[in-house]
Amino acid sequence: MSQKNKKNKKKNGLARCLEIAAKRKPLVILSAVLSSIAAICSFVPYLAIYCVIREILMVYPDLNRLNTEAIRLYSVWAMLGIIGNLISYFLAILCSHIGAFGTIYDLKIEFADHLARIPLGYHLSIGSGKLRKIMEGNIESIEGFLAHQFPDFVASVTSPIVMVILLFVVDWRFGLASLAGIIAAFVAEFMGYGSGEMKNTMQQYQDALEDMNNASVEFVRGMPVIKIFGKEESSFERLKSAINKYTDWVLKFSLGWQNCMPAFTTIVNNIYLFLIPVGILVGRNAKDPKMFALHFVFYLLFVPAIAGILNKIMYVSESFMEINNNVARMDEILYISELTDNGTKVPAGCDVRFENVSFSYEGRTEQALKNVSFQAQEGQLTAVVGASGSGKSTIANLLSRFWDIGEGSIKIGNTDIREISQEELMKTISFVYQDTFLFKMSIADNIRLGRRNASDQDVMEAARQAQCHEFIMQLPDGYQTVVGSSGVHLSGGERQRIAIARAILKDSPVIILDEATAFSDPENEYLIQKSFENLTKNKTVIMIAHRLSTVRDADRILVMQDGELVESGNHEALYEKGGRYRKLWDSYAQTLEWKVGETA
Amino acid sequence: MKKLKDFLLLSDRGYADLKKAILACTLTNLAMVLPFMVTVMLFKEILLYFTAGEINWQHMWLLWGAGIVSAVIVFLAAKNDYRKTYIASYKESNHTRERIAEHLTRLPMSFYNTKDLTEITTNMMSDCSAMESMLSSTIPPLIANMISSTITCLLLALFEWRLALCIFVTIPFAFMIIWASKKRQKKLFEKQVEEKLTASDRIQEYLEGMKVVRSCNMAGESFENLKQVLTRLKKISVKVELAVGVFMSSASMVLQAGIGITVFVGCRLLIQGKVELLTLLMFLLMATRMYGPILAILGQLSSLLNLDVVTKRMRTLLNAPEMSGNRPCTPGGSICLEHVSFGYNEEETIKDVSLTIRPGETVAFVGPSGSGKSTLTKLIARFWDVSEGRITYGGDDIRQLAPGGLMKNFSFVFQDVTLFQDTILNNIRMGKENATDEEVLEAAKKAFCDEFVSRLPDGYETVLGENGGTLSGGERQRISIARAILKDAPVIILDEATASLDPENEVFVQQAIANLSENKTVIMIAHRLRTITGADQIFVLEQGRVKESGTHAELLEQKGLYKKLFRLQNSMAG
Repeated sequence: MSQKNKKNKKKNGLARCLEIAAKRKPLVILSAVLSSIAAICSFVPYLAIYCVIREILMVYPDLNRLNTEAIRLYSVWAMLGIIGNLISYFLAILCSHIGAFGTIYDLKIEFADHLARIPLGYHLSIGSGKLRKIMEGNIESIEGFLAHQFPDFVASVTSPIVMVILLFVVDWRFGLASLAGIIAAFVAEFMGYGSGEMKNTMQQYQDALEDMNNASVEFVRGMPVIKIFGKEESSFERLKSAINKYTDWVLKFSLGWQNCMPAFTTIVNNIYLFLIPVGILVGRNAKDPKMFALHFVFYLLFVPAIAGILNKIMYVSESFMEINNNVARMDEILYISELTDNGTKVPAGCDVRFENVSFSYEGRTEQALKNVSFQAQEGQLTAVVGASGSGKSTIANLLSRFWDIGEGSIKIGNTDIREISQEELMKTISFVYQDTFLFKMSIADNIRLGRRNASDQDVMEAARQAQCHEFIMQLPDGYQTVVGSSGVHLSGGERQRIAIARAILKDSPVIILDEATAFSDPENEYLIQKSFENLTKNKTVIMIAHRLSTVRDADRILVMQDGELVESGNHEALYEKGGRYRKLWDSYAQTLEWKVGETA
Repeated sequence: MKKLKDFLLLSDRGYADLKKAILACTLTNLAMVLPFMVTVMLFKEILLYFTAGEINWQHMWLLWGAGIVSAVIVFLAAKNDYRKTYIASYKESNHTRERIAEHLTRLPMSFYNTKDLTEITTNMMSDCSAMESMLSSTIPPLIANMISSTITCLLLALFEWRLALCIFVTIPFAFMIIWASKKRQKKLFEKQVEEKLTASDRIQEYLEGMKVVRSCNMAGESFENLKQVLTRLKKISVKVELAVGVFMSSASMVLQAGIGITVFVGCRLLIQGKVELLTLLMFLLMATRMYGPILAILGQLSSLLNLDVVTKRMRTLLNAPEMSGNRPCTPGGSICLEHVSFGYNEEETIKDVSLTIRPGETVAFVGPSGSGKSTLTKLIARFWDVSEGRITYGGDDIRQLAPGGLMKNFSFVFQDVTLFQDTILNNIRMGKENATDEEVLEAAKKAFCDEFVSRLPDGYETVLGENGGTLSGGERQRISIARAILKDAPVIILDEATASLDPENEVFVQQAIANLSENKTVIMIAHRLRTITGADQIFVLEQGRVKESGTHAELLEQKGLYKKLFRLQNSMAG
């Protein structure tokens, strides 16, 4: 569906919501129809009461001639109208809910699926918190809109139409008078929107709201530091002034409506005042005074109903503004292009080649990689070193195709990775990242993610090689222990070893290692290194190294600086050369010498 | 009514204002009766035509005039209640926001370590907003509706009790339906909330595990998981809506049956000559209007009953205990831990630890991750209060010292550095409020900030983006060290960076730390053992206990855990 979306012209608000719900069109239409029926039914009690009064007035004051049969019929009609209104409204809401919950289910699944296909960079720049918020907040609100506001919207379109027809059919002069009242009510209401000052106040109010939110985020986030430096007083004052400013503007904004809103309320509740002069002027010269009197009664009875309907319209129009915003938030993500995945080739070998690769992250002007070329030989360990921000991690991200490169090409076994299907590529490459993620399932299943059909024996063997068998056996339920359950605490090092076991099980020919930047305790570190050795045997390994101590034995070391590959070679050669690598290494040696408590 | 005040966490002022707002809304509702009366009078005039054969047009004009006057009254009443409700609610939420913010400054550090910070901020702002709209547009009209409906009931009953009974007889039944369904609804709601939380968990997991999801080609499994919870959520949501819909619809159906009853009974009474036609007309008119406000009450009744749920998070926040202690603190004493035990939850993280740190000493805590190293430093600085034993500073139990005073004695160099959206200069100035620019620059220089600041476009006047923006880890750390140098506290707590910086950055950070810790008491969480070989005391921790202690040389001689760790690390680093 998202593919389709890209081609479509971008819609917003209601149109987009209906487009989203297209799959459940029958339900939506049914709900609209039922909702209209409900709206029509809601007028029936008024008509019935009017008919009762007409019956009475026809014979009044001689009540003995009253047609009691007709009265009974009308009271039944009134009841039927009420029941019809409620039942059809209930069914309308039911249909719309089934449609809406189904639609947001589809949307969420589509959204989740889409997220797995867009460049991973978006995940990092947008953040999982925000993405979850979109899924839970913004998409969820579409449910509310489709389920409640949409039927209400249909009803609020139908009701006025039926209402205006009724108003005009009985007596057009009274009808005109009522319409004048309705128009006056809206004029009063919208006078508030028009003025330029109001717009300005609105802007100020929204700015103040944003300021206050930002100030409070910084306030809470900075609280530990604020406390350490004893700055509670001054930072509280700063937040307080933001809060006060917001209150000032929101009050000013709200009070800007202090005449329009009450005027609207007053007019909709007093539309009968428009009827009286018409009644008097028409009534004086009425040809059939009895009919006229009857109509007058009808209108007096009916116009109070207008208030309820108009209030509903106001309410629905408010929710329209909100839904626009929510849909836009969602579409912002859905319109991100997915990575193309139509390659069919299978890599014919396992050496990795970067050919004149340049790349910059979206929204940044400077290039993260500038014309980088190198080859990582099959079965060798290639290490990448450099200062933070030099482009080391970018190499790993591009190779696993979390982003697509700007220029040049990346090849595995002579095949451009863009020509390999995503699935095949992922089979070829394993990565072990510093931020290890485990799912809330058993440890065995977490390891088994590496190879779905692995036997328990295989899983255990991988765990042994990754040095985690021992600690797993000490957990309450061994391999069946569910990660994240209470009482189960896994240290960073242990988590990483589980991730390594996963990669060992996967047994793919190319391995990307993003060396942990964090030091674990010595024992853990020792075990991790041992498990690395088991993992990387006879593989093409690209290691993003953050510590120089680990790169010494690499077959080839690539030295990155500001996105450029400045040197490459093995440790001895690079050290001899006395360039950038030598400089890094010398600094490193100096850090080793350092002891706390000594002056610089 | 008193309960309402507690429910909504209102201040006295706010409560008084709320009462005024309710009164104003009630007045508006009552003012609305005026047009109704005029309408009834109009009916009376029109009826004259049927009895006297003539309508008095003069009277009609008079009634029109009366109608206009009453409309003006309605307008004034509506304007009054609009002002009252909005002003009251915004002032009150302003007050609540300030109250929460102020409370936050007095909470112990531990609060900020356990709670998700974004959750607190969301709490603070969105709950206040929710409350704001409750106070302005939900509660006052609702309560006013209840009051004015009751008044109308009574008045109508006094006027003509039989017809009043017809209109109101259905109300108790409608309420009974809602009341009877409450339990069932609540159960369903709870289940829905539960499913929502599960779904939320799963979504979070899916998003966070995205790399794994992709690399293991596991669109299947994790997706299946997600699909399952979402399907369950969909089903329960439909059920909830269905239940709510059924109950609400049947309640309002029962309620509005009153219209039919009134018509039917009214006509009988009319024929029997027991009521006037005008009275009947009035009641019929009433019947078409009366149920709207009552339906509104019915609809919002459950939300009114569950008000405390809305304020629950706010209440937890406001009820979080503040930090105790008010004695002044004399700097420069020894730090003593006496049989200290502590746990973040039931499990004890620190078990019966006793040790003494004398002024000017450099001490180090070492041990495997989870052994309690960083917990100990947090206890010393009173981020948490101990559960057993005590910690003294210069002989005073730190729990009796004023929190602000104690904090003046500590500087921290941690790995995660919080920076503010301000200039670098002001970020450093955090360390000492009214430090001159010269002092700040001097501290910055000692912390080797010059090296990278000189490369920034505006130097020290460069405004940092949100939480430091583009600065690297090492650079941020140097800013935090400059802060600490400026603060010049007698005790430095140092969490040796576990995250490896690139070697050049690390050299600068190390030199900056050396400048900072000159002539200070230094308490250090050490990860790399060779950096602490010169420490005065080394405490080796394991599972919350002090296993070994002494100087580097003494510990090597003990041939215990320390020696083993030292060996391991040396063999790796080469």
